[in-house]
Amino acid sequence: MLFLLACLAIPLCNVVMLSFYRHSANRIWVPQFTLDNYQALSGIYFISLGLRTLKVGVITTCFCILLGYPVAYYFARAGRRALVFGMFVLFMPLMVSAVVGAFGWIVILGRNGILNSALKALHFDFQVQILYSEIAVVIALVNLLLPMMVLPLMASIEKIPRRLEEVAVNLGASPLLTFWRVVIPLSMPGLISGSLLCFTIAISAVVTPRLLGGNGSRMIGTEIYEQVVTAYNWPFASSLAVVLVAIIVFTLFVSFAAERGRRQRAVRERR
Amino acid sequence: MISQGWLLKTVVFAILGAILVPLLAVIGVSFNPTSRFVLATTAISLRWYAEFWSRREFIDALFLVSLPLAIVSAMLATVTGTLAAIALVRFRMRGRDFLETTFMIPILIPSILLGLALYLFSARLGLAGRFGTLVVGHMLIGIPFVVRVVVAALVGVNPALEEAAISLGCTRVQAFRKVVIPLLRSSVLSGAIFAFILSFSDVNVALFVSGPTTNTMPLEIFSEIQWQGDPTIAAASTVQIVVVTLLILAAQRLTRARITF
Repeated sequence: MLFLLACLAIPLCNVVMLSFYRHSANRIWVPQFTLDNYQALSGIYFISLGLRTLKVGVITTCFCILLGYPVAYYFARAGRRALVFGMFVLFMPLMVSAVVGAFGWIVILGRNGILNSALKALHFDFQVQILYSEIAVVIALVNLLLPMMVLPLMASIEKIPRRLEEVAVNLGASPLLTFWRVVIPLSMPGLISGSLLCFTIAISAVVTPRLLGGNGSRMIGTEIYEQVVTAYNWPFASSLAVVLVAIIVFTLFVSFAAERGRRQRAVRERR
Repeated sequence: MISQGWLLKTVVFAILGAILVPLLAVIGVSFNPTSRFVLATTAISLRWYAEFWSRREFIDALFLVSLPLAIVSAMLATVTGTLAAIALVRFRMRGRDFLETTFMIPILIPSILLGLALYLFSARLGLAGRFGTLVVGHMLIGIPFVVRVVVAALVGVNPALEEAAISLGCTRVQAFRKVVIPLLRSSVLSGAIFAFILSFSDVNVALFVSGPTTNTMPLEIFSEIQWQGDPTIAAASTVQIVVVTLLILAAQRLTRARITF
């Protein structure tokens, strides 16, 4: 067990340490303390890289929420057989590997891909050109990460007594209003943890943006990969990784604060 | 109430259908006889499977790296994860909460960071690209899931069963071995299957840690896509899909309960 802890902790500390080392063209890194790596991050290129990563993360999370709610609600109230089947389908892309999913989207969205051939065959005279853009990345990420939203949401929705919904409907609320005023507020914990999962995994994606995003849609993950594999600038890759962790830790704190605030408000309302 | 609505049902099944679209597209392309990425609409051919079978890099990746790696790391993850779960649930020891969070850390750390950290550190030790480094990485990904599944099962074991065994003359250890462990078997096995799948489908750790002789299947597919290969990629992806599907079905059959993550 200690060995495992060591396998985890030492390499991570090593990353933090490397991020303060100086890069050298022929020896990869020299053990000299420097803040150069972090200073380089303040350049316009990396600021926009970071903002783009956050944007993709936020949009992906929003779509996961939008699509995840109906699915989670349906399966929280469905029978066991439907549930087993639903979870099977939902987890397929994630389980098979992000690479295979990305390949599928390339085949579908490519210039001569399935979608465009189908459009041509149906005599539409427009073509969809979204491969190698952020849109393709978001589509593929939502496809992968939807289960990460559905599972926590479902766990929360299951705990809501069905009677509450019945009461709301009996009091004259439409199903949609019931959903808005009863189900959504009571499933907040699931929503928060689901969003946390989706967002953190989305902003650290490598393979999906690398394969489906063009040059203009690089993200932090792909940049780390490139710095390690192509540029051999390990100190700089490490500093990018530290920034990524910082963003994730910050999101964690925000979500914990949101959860605590929600609970306190609930307690106050009860009094 | 709302769940009875056909509208909701339609929406949900449309979403589920859409989720499978890319995988189905891959399978469709793998059977097409031409060398373009098109669906097999007019004729079905196994050409690309033959090609897959004759390509050294794919076969090596599957049989020499991916499968052995998944087996070894799943076994190690299962043993450590199960022991850890038993310790977490059964022993009131100091630092229990600390340990519990420690075992969950790999879930929160994105696997690319795990990959990066392992690669940079193993490069320092001169162990980069070794099979063993990959095993460590995949074990770390698998453990939290095994711990989760086994903890859930352990908590669900009715303590009365164990007490009955003890009152019938078993020692505590015997009671645990003869009553609790058989009850845990299916959860441990499904934990092992999930650890296997996680290793088999991982690409983020392998991306950094793999060396020239230790390319895993997803990694091989990844690099082929970047080199704009032929539909052999689709055949390889289909093989990947089939292996994982069979394993998920096996796991679902085993637990007969919902998959809990």
